[in-house]
Amino acid sequence: MLPILSLTLATLFVGTVVTFLAGPRAKYVAAAVSAVFLVEIAAMFWMFTWPAFGVGPAHFAESESYAWIHVDWLHVNYTVGIDGISLVLILLTGILQAVTVAYSWNETKQPGAWFGLVLLTCLGCFGVFVALDVLLFFVFWEVVLVPMFFLIGYWGGPRRRYAALKFFIYTHVASVTMLVALLVTAFYSHSPTLDFASLQGSAATLAVPTQVILFLSLFFGFGVKFPIVPFHTWLPDAHVEAPTGGSVLLAGLLLKLGGYGLIRWGLEILPTGLSHAAPVLYAVAFASIIWGAGVSLAQRDLKRLVAYSSINHMGIVLLAIALDTSLGLLAAVLLMFAHGIVSALLFMVSGSVHHTFGSRDLATVNGITPTAPTLSTMTMAGALASLGLPALISFPAEFTALLATWDKLGYWVVIPLFTLVVTAAFYIWMMQRLLFGTPKGIPADAHDLPYAEALAMGALVVLTVVYGILPNLLVHWITLSPVAGLP
Amino acid sequence: MSGPLSALFPWAFVVPLAPALAFVIIGLFGRRMQRLEWGGWIAVGGAFVAMLVGVLIAVGEMLTPGTYTDRSISWLTLPGNGTGTFPHGFSLVMGTLVDPLSAIMLIVVTVVGFLVMLFSIGYMHRDQGLPRYYAELSLFLASMLGLVLADNLLQFFLFWELVGVCSYFLIGFYYAKPSAASAAKEAFLVTRIGDVLFLLGIFIYFQQFATSGPGAGWAASGFLFVSHGAPFLAGVPIANSTLFTIAGLMMLGGAAGKSAQFPLDVWLPDAMEGPTTVSALIHAATMVAAGVYLLAVVSVFIGFTATDQLVIVAIGGFTTFWAASMALVHRDIKRVIAYSTVSQLGYMVLAVGAGFTMVGLYHLFTHAFFKALLFLAAGSVIHAVETQDLFKMGGLRKTMRITSIGFLIGALSLSGIPPFAGFFSKDDVLASVYQAAQSHPAYWPFLILAYATVFMTAYYIFRAWFLAFSGDHPRDPTLPHAHEAPWTMTVPIVILSALAIVAGLLAFVPQFGGLFRAGAGFLPTPGVPPTYTTSTLLLSGLSVGLGLTGIATAYVLWGNGRVFTLADNSAVQPIRRLLLERYYVKAGVDWFGLRVAYTVSRFLAFVDEYIIDGTVHGFEHLFSELSTRLRRVQSGVVLDYAAYVVVGLAIFLVFLYLVVPAFPALGGG
Repeated sequence: MLPILSLTLATLFVGTVVTFLAGPRAKYVAAAVSAVFLVEIAAMFWMFTWPAFGVGPAHFAESESYAWIHVDWLHVNYTVGIDGISLVLILLTGILQAVTVAYSWNETKQPGAWFGLVLLTCLGCFGVFVALDVLLFFVFWEVVLVPMFFLIGYWGGPRRRYAALKFFIYTHVASVTMLVALLVTAFYSHSPTLDFASLQGSAATLAVPTQVILFLSLFFGFGVKFPIVPFHTWLPDAHVEAPTGGSVLLAGLLLKLGGYGLIRWGLEILPTGLSHAAPVLYAVAFASIIWGAGVSLAQRDLKRLVAYSSINHMGIVLLAIALDTSLGLLAAVLLMFAHGIVSALLFMVSGSVHHTFGSRDLATVNGITPTAPTLSTMTMAGALASLGLPALISFPAEFTALLATWDKLGYWVVIPLFTLVVTAAFYIWMMQRLLFGTPKGIPADAHDLPYAEALAMGALVVLTVVYGILPNLLVHWITLSPVAGLP
Repeated sequence: MSGPLSALFPWAFVVPLAPALAFVIIGLFGRRMQRLEWGGWIAVGGAFVAMLVGVLIAVGEMLTPGTYTDRSISWLTLPGNGTGTFPHGFSLVMGTLVDPLSAIMLIVVTVVGFLVMLFSIGYMHRDQGLPRYYAELSLFLASMLGLVLADNLLQFFLFWELVGVCSYFLIGFYYAKPSAASAAKEAFLVTRIGDVLFLLGIFIYFQQFATSGPGAGWAASGFLFVSHGAPFLAGVPIANSTLFTIAGLMMLGGAAGKSAQFPLDVWLPDAMEGPTTVSALIHAATMVAAGVYLLAVVSVFIGFTATDQLVIVAIGGFTTFWAASMALVHRDIKRVIAYSTVSQLGYMVLAVGAGFTMVGLYHLFTHAFFKALLFLAAGSVIHAVETQDLFKMGGLRKTMRITSIGFLIGALSLSGIPPFAGFFSKDDVLASVYQAAQSHPAYWPFLILAYATVFMTAYYIFRAWFLAFSGDHPRDPTLPHAHEAPWTMTVPIVILSALAIVAGLLAFVPQFGGLFRAGAGFLPTPGVPPTYTTSTLLLSGLSVGLGLTGIATAYVLWGNGRVFTLADNSAVQPIRRLLLERYYVKAGVDWFGLRVAYTVSRFLAFVDEYIIDGTVHGFEHLFSELSTRLRRVQSGVVLDYAAYVVVGLAIFLVFLYLVVPAFPALGGG
């Protein structure tokens, strides 16, 4: 069978290198690589069949495994494979890579490096979603950090150095914790290799308290990426200083690494740990949900507002994962996909508002609709999708998440349920200030969206509507994962 | 099953699809061809097709009453894994359900929808942004029809949210006006509170009926209201359990948000910032009635507990009185009618709560026509004189004959004067609550409030009629000279006037009345209009008497161009002020939103910035001190990270290898 995952990794790698070298023509290379990537993703969907259970690493489709580092005390393999969860997140990666390239089509500051770093970020994310070996996973995980560090640190706003460093240190501390916890799990349980499958088998033999401690360490490691309250303050700073393309990838993909990691390497490796540590996760999730929504309401900077709303939404993802039910997992993956699309759209909106009007301050830029009707429409679509309007992508995800919460936790559901009112409040109020009312703070040369930006946002809006009307297009694939439903 | 028109039932999806198509066409191409003004006629066309098919289906349902579900397509499917609450998984579906309730609603929504679209052509032609207007109005119509035809609660909720967002956009149609943008926000957020409650209610029903008892299989079948021609949950007893009571109250919460019932009623009067056509269609005849429709659907297909019913009666009865009292003093013609809408919706809720679901729908049916008539007539007036202030108008009956007669018919109907439509349905509501009160004494206070409202209703609507139309000339001489509206506006007014006269009598036509009887067939309380025959002559006499007294009072105070001014030192001045200030509820809501909620969130943001992030900064300083000292050995930023990593690692390893093994209980060793 065609080793589609390795092939994709190879094309992304070659494509990234060529993009770096292509200089001013980098955008064409990047567009071609994105197109090839999307075709390869389509091939993954086409080839995706559910293999029989219980045979080696065959829990995963399209899996490959080759020996990498074999010494007597350490067996590291190059093992890759996907299931429905990773498949959907890979789709998200492909979509966001393409729209980021489209959105930054007119980038003039070091275009070769810019597009190369964008591609490298997506390469890292793809690697994280396919890696089934602790070390391989960690390598890709770290690969993601470096380009993002430079995207923020070189193309960012006035405080970019501070924000980039904060982002790097914060997430790096977390990833080291994660790596140590995974290695301890492997060595403590005498796992023969560092493969996912062998780790999953051996971790169950650990004593329950050890599993709980290891799980909580992993939770910290992945949680910072979510981000969870109170380890979230790197996020608003990183977003505010990041260039638009960086924000899109940061919110759309990097936060999903945390969610994916917690499912694959936390929940699936140490389920007992999760079931005992669940109350901690619930508390953190509720805190993030309330905190993200509450702080969003006070924000005057559009981008900060969207950043804090991400904390709220990712809090619901964490809650859904912590439920540890098939309904909850389905909801978590749907929500991650939805948030990836919608937050990307909203960060593009923030970026375009900034380019066009010179500021994102909701108190100084008002009533932009007559000047920029297309941008205004995109803003509405993004805000309404994010607050969970039916027929848009977030609704089926949030509905499932809340139903799962009610199912498992009963009346605790009123916490995420009532923050929906707050979420609606800050988005609706944002729209009232930014879009409606008497125009204010509009520069004379302000114009509607350039084609590249309109195209990128338009594509995201179309996806929001299509998946919102036909969520089964995603649900079908997610439920092919062993954890998320099928017997 | 095989009536002459029942072949149309599988095609019910065409009804919402036609305006949806109009929405897509206008949305995609409208802005490009703004000058040609064809967008409006496409919207009218979409609404016309919807009306044609919708009314034919309703007639088919009259001829062969029953329930027909069709084309339920799977929207979100979770395969079961044999465990948990949904062992067989569940399926969320979209489909159409033709039954007596949806047939009644189909007539209301498609007929009023079409007439309002037609009226818009004349009324809106001076405005900017018409493609947006017709696109949003078409989307609203499509969503509303999707809601009416919903065959399960989730679909109901989905379209419920969509009509809400269309309402949001249309209230804020004049978005450059700060008051319109603010009213739109208020409407969205207040109804959102109801929506959240509604969602919780759905969760409770889904979970309660999914696993055991006669409702098992409901989840796998898509939570359909109806299966094989009978309500799915028929025969599932709704015990007066706490959980079902809560679920019922959540449904009431949702309905209260949408139908502007106390205490979520504050948004509807402010929603009058939208164009008058929008007020007529969305905020009088259709969307605000969706809450009542929800209560009707739940009472028919799921059921309320006795406690729920009492609370519903209380909310409906109180709202009736509460809203009517505010209508007594306001001087904006649209606001008076808006308060009247809230009050009349209260009557419908009252009837449904008392167990007479079909009586509630009967009043919904008649009210839609006479209230849309009142709004369109008011719109015609506003279009002509360019003000909404009743105290500036006057003498308009001379120049706007059709409009003034139309408004008069609407007012008589609203006041419950026979033989106008409102008489039959309102009398039925009162009679049915009277019947229910025989066995539920707790209903009495609310029946009394409902009767008191009859007087107030007649008074405030005729106060409006006299102020606008009687007298010799406008009180404000600067008003533009009024003249009758073009045909696109008068034709809808004439048609609605006819309907406002005959809609009540329709219930006596056997086929049409059959809809109500068939709908009531599912119900424990066989309350079927016309209950008129069952009500005593005394009750009817009382309500008509109260109505006539109200009209007479209005005439004495405001007739023939008179203006009644309350003395400044009058004992009722404080009450008048209280009513004008809307019981200070609006001020309270604004205070909560702007002061309380915003202040709390500012406080959270402060904590976030200075305490949480401040702690992070503290660690930063600590480590930068450390690294400054280490820089003697080697310099470079990379060392900063290394310091973090090493310290973190060290702590972790110490914990794992020294602390854990030291305590065997932790599983070490």
